Amino acid sequence: MSPRGRYALRRVALAVPTLLAMTIFVFLIIRLVPGDPVRTMLGFRATPENVATIRHDLRLDESWPAQYGAWLGGLVRGDLGEDYISHASVSGLLGQRLPVTLELTLFSLALALLVGVPLGVVAATGGRASRWLTATFTIGGISIPDFWLGTLLVLVFAAKLGWLPPTGYASLFHHPVENLRYMTLPVVTLAIGEAAYILRTTRASMQETLGRPFVTFLRARGLRERSVVYRHALRTASLPIVTVVGIQFGVLLGGAIVIETVFGLPGVGKLVVTAINQRNYTVVQGSVLVIAALFIVVNLVTDLLYGWLDPRVEARLGR
Amino acid sequence: MTETALELPRRRSLPRLRGRVGREAGVGLGLLAVLGLLAVLAPVLAPHSPEAIDQHRVLGGLTWAHPFGSDALGRDVLSRVLFAFRASLSISLGAVAIALAVGIPIGVAAGYFGRALDAVLMRPIDLLLAFPALLLALSLIAITGPGQLVTMFAIAAIYLPILARVVRSSTLAVASEAYVEGARARGASHLRTIVQHVVPNAIGPALVQASVLCGFALQIEAALAFIGLGAQPPTPSLGLMLFDGYQVLEQAPWADVFPGLAIAITVVAFNLVGDGLRARLDPRGITR
Repeated sequence: MSPRGRYALRRVALAVPTLLAMTIFVFLIIRLVPGDPVRTMLGFRATPENVATIRHDLRLDESWPAQYGAWLGGLVRGDLGEDYISHASVSGLLGQRLPVTLELTLFSLALALLVGVPLGVVAATGGRASRWLTATFTIGGISIPDFWLGTLLVLVFAAKLGWLPPTGYASLFHHPVENLRYMTLPVVTLAIGEAAYILRTTRASMQETLGRPFVTFLRARGLRERSVVYRHALRTASLPIVTVVGIQFGVLLGGAIVIETVFGLPGVGKLVVTAINQRNYTVVQGSVLVIAALFIVVNLVTDLLYGWLDPRVEARLGR
Repeated sequence: MTETALELPRRRSLPRLRGRVGREAGVGLGLLAVLGLLAVLAPVLAPHSPEAIDQHRVLGGLTWAHPFGSDALGRDVLSRVLFAFRASLSISLGAVAIALAVGIPIGVAAGYFGRALDAVLMRPIDLLLAFPALLLALSLIAITGPGQLVTMFAIAAIYLPILARVVRSSTLAVASEAYVEGARARGASHLRTIVQHVVPNAIGPALVQASVLCGFALQIEAALAFIGLGAQPPTPSLGLMLFDGYQVLEQAPWADVFPGLAIAITVVAFNLVGDGLRARLDPRGITR
């Protein structure tokens, strides 16, 4: 097998134990609730029969290994249990809500890259004015809490100007235009902070790369500056950007949890917040697991992309 | 073998902070000093009681008596910001302190002893890092229920793996230095070597990271309170103020703007200090 194939295989294999450990962690959430989780879930009005039924459903009357085995078995079949308030299946709920969260985070990431990378290059190559402007953007983007920024954007663009709806959601597939109107403010909110991190990384990486001998060589050969910067230097400088994007995706997912609540988007984030408030533990477990698994997959993709961008990584680790 | 034959230059006992820290860090330190004073002196400085309800001043604008205006219950926003900032800052400092207190020993032990202990200590740490930060906090809150103290431990749980990783990296670098080997050769115990030589030289990057994290803790605390899973009313919290302010955003933007600014300014201050310290305390660039 080629080093590339071996590297990919090894990296995928590494994700498996992490995923397994994650399932144990999530499994423990409900078991670690102090007192009786079923009583906490159902409240004071629950009849003993109700409590006994749910305890049996959740297999809380069996030993932990047996419980875990049964739960993991269900997981493999895509069965995450039942929402004890709406009686819907948790996997069904997640299936409805995951696309919203994915749309929010991926659009934000795309927008952040579109803004952050060019601005980072400008920051590394431009004059004083552009350095100052990009530095201001970075400080603002990093220090302003994203959900607060969201509320301010609602004030300006929804309340004052009336250009966009403040909260709500329409399906991307059935009402694409409406969907974009609803998603614009949340996506921009999440993207600004993200763009600031990408800008900062791009700037540092570009500054470092532009000082390398190969850049001097390309310039000496008479290549146009635009080509030196964007075609040659940026590709070399893109490795740390990929790393930061991978790490930042976790921040983005966390941000999405809060932003979905601010903008009333029916995503997994809003689901988990509501579920925690209602002590709806099966839903909490399902959503935590899905978000965490998503992050593991993104990290996996980042690493594979990293190897593709820098063949030396594959060569070293793929042996 | 005599002691003198192997006498090595004494290592400094603490990272040195003397000398120029740079203009930005100076600004950051100045800001932090002011913010710290505001937090400590909040009960003295607040012009009104943060709980005092004045029905004649519901959503009242900015006046000399109420420079930050009043909120939906007619409470003085300036006084509330001061008290909430004090509470939120305590939580954030507490969280970072807990994370340092647990993270430094783990990181130092893993980096210094390496091998099996490294694997045993760092696997769980890596698992924590595999969680999106806020999700980790939410999982803990799901178990215990929301509250101010839980928020502090939840933030500490987010920061612990980050700081442990940083300490481990710097310990790895320090442990191979000649003075560590020298201390061992002179017959110093592992514990003595760690306390006298490894920790003082390996702790710098963690302090840099910690100062930056202090600022962000304020953001996390506010976010958790905002979504109803952090501090609960009537506990003072900047996040709760932002939630209340959001409800009256159109009529009284000041109730939303000032608590938000308090967070943003604090994050900037901690970041400036962190960047300034990095030049002095993290020459290897571990936290970059």
